[in-house]
Amino acid sequence: MRRKTMLRLGGALITLFALFGVWVMLLPYFWMVSSSIKTGIEVFDLPIKWIPDDIQWVNYPNALAKGAFGVYFYNSFVVAFAVMGGNLVFCTLAGYGLAKFRFPHRELCFRLILSTLMLPLEIVLVPTFLVVRDLGLVNTYGGLIAPLAVDAFGVFLMRQSIRDIPDSLIEAARMDGCSEFGIFWRIILPNCKPALGALALLAFRDNWDQFLWPFIVATTDNLKTFPLGLAQMEGIDSAAYHEIMALAVMGMIPAAFIFLFFQRAFVRGITLTGLKE
Amino acid sequence: MGREIGVDRTLPSKIRRLVAGGGKRSLHSHLRWAGFFFVLPALIHLIIFKFYPMLQAFRLSFYRYDLMSPPVFTGLENYNLLWQNPLFHQSFWVSVKYMFGVSIPEWFFALALALLLNRRMPGRSVIRLAYFFPIAMSQIVVAMVWKFMYHPYGLVNTILETFGIGRINWLSMEESALPALIAIGIWRGIPLFGVIYLAGLQAIPKEYHEAAIIDGAGVFQRFFYVTIPLLLPTITFVMVLSLLSAVKVFLNPLVMTEGGPNGTTKVLPYFIYETGFAFFRMGEAAAASMVLFVFLFGLTLIQLRLLRRGGVE
Amino acid sequence: MRRFLMTHLLVGLLTALLVSPAFAQQTRITWWGHSNCSKDLVAEWNKKNPNTPVQYDFFAMTPYFQKLTAALSTRSAADMFTLIDFLLPGFTAKNVLAPIRPEWLGYKDLEDMKKAYIPGALDGYIHKGKLYALPPIASGFSLFINTKHFREAGLDPDKDYPRTWEDVGRIGKKLVKMRGSRMVREGFDFAMHSSTWTMWYFNTTIRQYGGEILDASGKKCLANSEAGVKAMNVRARIAHHYKASDPTVSLGTNALPADDLPKGRVSMFITHAGSVAQFGPKVMKYVKVVPFPQVDPKKPVTPIYGFALAVNPHISEAKQRAVHKVLKHVVNDSKTWYERTSYPHPDKNFLNLPGMEDARKTRYLDVFVKDISNGRFLQRSDKVLELNQAIHRAMERVVLKKEDSKKSLDRACKEIDAALAKK
Repeated sequence: MRRKTMLRLGGALITLFALFGVWVMLLPYFWMVSSSIKTGIEVFDLPIKWIPDDIQWVNYPNALAKGAFGVYFYNSFVVAFAVMGGNLVFCTLAGYGLAKFRFPHRELCFRLILSTLMLPLEIVLVPTFLVVRDLGLVNTYGGLIAPLAVDAFGVFLMRQSIRDIPDSLIEAARMDGCSEFGIFWRIILPNCKPALGALALLAFRDNWDQFLWPFIVATTDNLKTFPLGLAQMEGIDSAAYHEIMALAVMGMIPAAFIFLFFQRAFVRGITLTGLKE
Repeated sequence: MGREIGVDRTLPSKIRRLVAGGGKRSLHSHLRWAGFFFVLPALIHLIIFKFYPMLQAFRLSFYRYDLMSPPVFTGLENYNLLWQNPLFHQSFWVSVKYMFGVSIPEWFFALALALLLNRRMPGRSVIRLAYFFPIAMSQIVVAMVWKFMYHPYGLVNTILETFGIGRINWLSMEESALPALIAIGIWRGIPLFGVIYLAGLQAIPKEYHEAAIIDGAGVFQRFFYVTIPLLLPTITFVMVLSLLSAVKVFLNPLVMTEGGPNGTTKVLPYFIYETGFAFFRMGEAAAASMVLFVFLFGLTLIQLRLLRRGGVE
Repeated sequence: MRRFLMTHLLVGLLTALLVSPAFAQQTRITWWGHSNCSKDLVAEWNKKNPNTPVQYDFFAMTPYFQKLTAALSTRSAADMFTLIDFLLPGFTAKNVLAPIRPEWLGYKDLEDMKKAYIPGALDGYIHKGKLYALPPIASGFSLFINTKHFREAGLDPDKDYPRTWEDVGRIGKKLVKMRGSRMVREGFDFAMHSSTWTMWYFNTTIRQYGGEILDASGKKCLANSEAGVKAMNVRARIAHHYKASDPTVSLGTNALPADDLPKGRVSMFITHAGSVAQFGPKVMKYVKVVPFPQVDPKKPVTPIYGFALAVNPHISEAKQRAVHKVLKHVVNDSKTWYERTSYPHPDKNFLNLPGMEDARKTRYLDVFVKDISNGRFLQRSDKVLELNQAIHRAMERVVLKKEDSKKSLDRACKEIDAALAKK
């Protein structure tokens, strides 16, 4: 009995703590939203006024009119979804191969793949650009997407997650005469949904926000992505922070939707870790 | 009581058997190469877009190359120049401090966050979304927003002042500039790795917890004997990746401090970027990258080895 | 949702295939810049010259030079592009800029062309007797003062404004506002956010004391000379002797370095002509612009800088000629530039253009142009960014950590000499 009340009290405390954390996490975000409905002069006013006297909704249409943002958003969607797709397919395949098979030099393969995470993009920028140029992909969607379509991050994540899947399941399917790809499709994929969800989410977000690479590859307006549009608002003539913030708010919406969509992947099969005493 | 001890001893070994991948003699020999074919598409891609450029960068580290005139072979000169450059040494240690300063808190806080969000509580999906927001924020916006938060008259100081703590000019003092940037790294990293932990927690089959409950295991016992061992692959991933992603930070110091004051926030990627693209010494930048590469590669191998000894494989 | 994803994937890939073959136009001229103002000029040009259309692409400032470098190194840069003056030596040393031909712009030669400009205004773009970029704007720095704060302190902004650095410290001290031990309003402050700004101040002050950052060959650092130490002491004295500023405050300020002035957090601040447009007419009502402070007002030296248009050397001569026509169109419209950006044009007759009388009265054009005509460009060196950073670090040590100026500059010179020794 006493233990139960203790637990319940603990639960309430944890919830309170979680709510407090939410505020800390969101504080910068509130500032961003609040700035997006101020006038340019008010943005950096201190002390902060969270809700301005005169709310400037007009910042949103004004900001959108400053560039071909319809095009930028579309391009970002295309790039983010294509790269996400590439990552889901290739990283999962590779992760499965690395987690559940023993082929010669498997560890070497894994380490090589991992090693690609260890050089900053700046240093491979010019050599990578040369590869893309020689493939004739400068200023094309192909050039924006191809070099990012596989990321060692995803291979590593999927390898680690697929390791959790019991071998007995795979063995059983193999006994039943399931093909190797069939095993992948029917056993592995359904069993690593949470990780796939995380990978999809993070790949989308990373590439929605990708800046340096598109900046180098895209030279014309019709191929620029959203972050490039955002960055070019900060020209020397005008530093319109209220409008930049309005765009930034809009730029977060897709990622938030993707999160809500993939959240189900994490939530499914809830949840024993905490309660149910 | 006796049953609980039984849980402690048997469960981990059962799990260990289940988790242990590979080593299955029952795999037919033709299967040996099947795995390779699963890896092949990714490998081909990485060879073209990653390994080849990396090899080029390695080669460049032995050349003098200003990006615009043809490269000139200079042997180990670039490495020698770096060794003699106190600014390189400074950047290296700034990066090491930043890397561990950000990732070690991330390991624990992210796990705590994932455990928290995995609980049943009112408004959970809203809370989850709220915690996720920092990673949805565009990097450039993060830098802009936090620069303003750290302003001498900014939000952080306003909050501190209500607690009676005086104004701290975060970004303009050598003592506080790097910690201020580390705080942003943690703020942004916790939700990211929290999501990955959450996925890992969700993948733990219910049966293990149910079995443990039937055996009478308490919350902590289940955490240490079920959750942690089963989460080890994910923990390994987070420990390795948090270091690798922390060390790449670059935009925040660029936008917020320009590497200052007195070079105390000039992380190595910033040094590399600047040497290559601002000072036009690509060879030296490549050499600095190789130093970073070897350091990170060694660190990762050690981590993987230690974690394996900890009982995953 | 899955179908939605798939369709988008397909659309993306298809578009990728369709768009791939680059547009192969006959004489389309490409231009990379970083200013919105140029867009309208391009639109106007395209209307008049449908046969040689210009495609203008706009890029954000900071990473723009990186893109430019990557593009020049792979020979995929635009036909013409914008550059900031102090980066020129880095590019000319590597032969990646085509010389500007004065004869194609309607001048007899470079000497003839110089006569049409404010004296010295083209110097920053000349290398070994050839012009490598054409500036559509020129900018210097002048002192902006808050007249309200002056009157509050019992000072007359029209008579009592500072002429020398000592004046800045002395008057600045009177404008400071304290709350307890904390400075809530600075009398004066230098921007601390950027090593280039630091160098603009320092390079100018060292010249005011008769010194230079580098020797004539450009291979040896002279910043730790007597003049250099004096110049560094100017900053140290304003902060520590007069206590007219709190140097820790301005490093963390937001992306607009001059923003503390319209916010009333600082009473005097040095900034460029573009700030007039940024502050807006409401603020400019109580802000007055006076000349850049000097060591000796009789021998004035001020900083000057500019953005300029350069030509890609990898294109054919015929195309270069076509680019020059565009250049001419762009720089000839100095009035539009001025109205949009508040940056004056380095044209000698700029002040006498029709319609300028008003700006001379209300927008302090006379002050700016006078300061510009005393202006000298930043130390020319292909290692300029390393110079800037070494001096910036030295300044941070002096101003934030109260290190001795001489000692700090000695260390900076060691760093600079090491950089200069590298090829």
